Amino acid sequence: MLQSLPYELPELITRAPLDTHRSTVIPEWVDWNGHMNVAFYVAAFDQASGAFMRNMGLGRRYVDGKLGMTFVLETHVTYDREVREGAPLRFTTQLLARDAKKVHLFHEMYHAEQDYLAATNETIVMNINYETRRSGPWPVPVAERLDAIWATHQALPKPAKAGRVMGLSKRS
Amino acid sequence: MIDLDLAAPLDRHPATVLPDWIDWNGHMNVGYYVVAFDKATDTLCQQFGCGYEYTRDEIGMTFVLEAHVTYDREVKEGDPLRITTQILDHDAKRLHFIHMMYHAKEGYLAATNELMLMNIDYQTRRSAPWPGFAMERIEQLAAAHAALPRPSQAGRLIGIKKK
Repeated sequence: MLQSLPYELPELITRAPLDTHRSTVIPEWVDWNGHMNVAFYVAAFDQASGAFMRNMGLGRRYVDGKLGMTFVLETHVTYDREVREGAPLRFTTQLLARDAKKVHLFHEMYHAEQDYLAATNETIVMNINYETRRSGPWPVPVAERLDAIWATHQALPKPAKAGRVMGLSKRS
Repeated sequence: MIDLDLAAPLDRHPATVLPDWIDWNGHMNVGYYVVAFDKATDTLCQQFGCGYEYTRDEIGMTFVLEAHVTYDREVKEGDPLRITTQILDHDAKRLHFIHMMYHAKEGYLAATNELMLMNIDYQTRRSAPWPGFAMERIEQLAAAHAALPRPSQAGRLIGIKKK
């Protein structure tokens, strides 16, 4: 386990949910249906996970410094409403759970001007040892930051769209 | 429409990991697994006449309502992939299925993608029943896939196990 990180960490944002990430639907994300393609919602949410990780001290320097990596194990997306090319997006991120190696995150994507919910993404991200490319415990300062933000995030209600199992409702 | 392929699971979608799909971790990025899976969804939809031409000709569209991906093992630039597809359920407007992505040479499972797809009216962009030509084929495909065991990756709930 890394006891420290050899760079200055950003000022920790403990506000819950985390709401710093912004994005815009770029032309490359739009498909033949004239809206953001399913895959690029995942790419956009991955950037929101990146914003969460930077707040934990795990940005590009973590990987480029060959200290470690973070891998997504599993992800679940609900597509709630279309977004078109050029649409401004804002994201909120709630920490649902964490352990020694993993975080369980819940992102919501909103149209930043019209304010509707466009999509949600529940995801599990794991810390990875750079050399072995296998799971490893969070560096100590990261575990401390996770504890600090858990103190504020645990008070949030569980999102209605978290913990979904896919299936056809037989009522419809 | 193309000839219906009733082999179960559907196994007619090869792909290759492109350089643009690689991220700073040196492997296929999480978003591009879904790019690859979405192309396999088109291969499935071609089977019942609701692929690219369905939208190009302004007949209808298909929208994904929900997606679940398990990332089981890394794939790298240039790796050959093979994606198989199993129909799990369907109703008048929706189709529930799962893709399995394998490394085409080494044979290992790289990822899975469970999806809920809905038919969409081209003009209103709202849900609508599958057209008759599609429903007839969906029912044949579903019947052919009905005997397959349900993959353990289907119907998963995300969470961190408490020790």
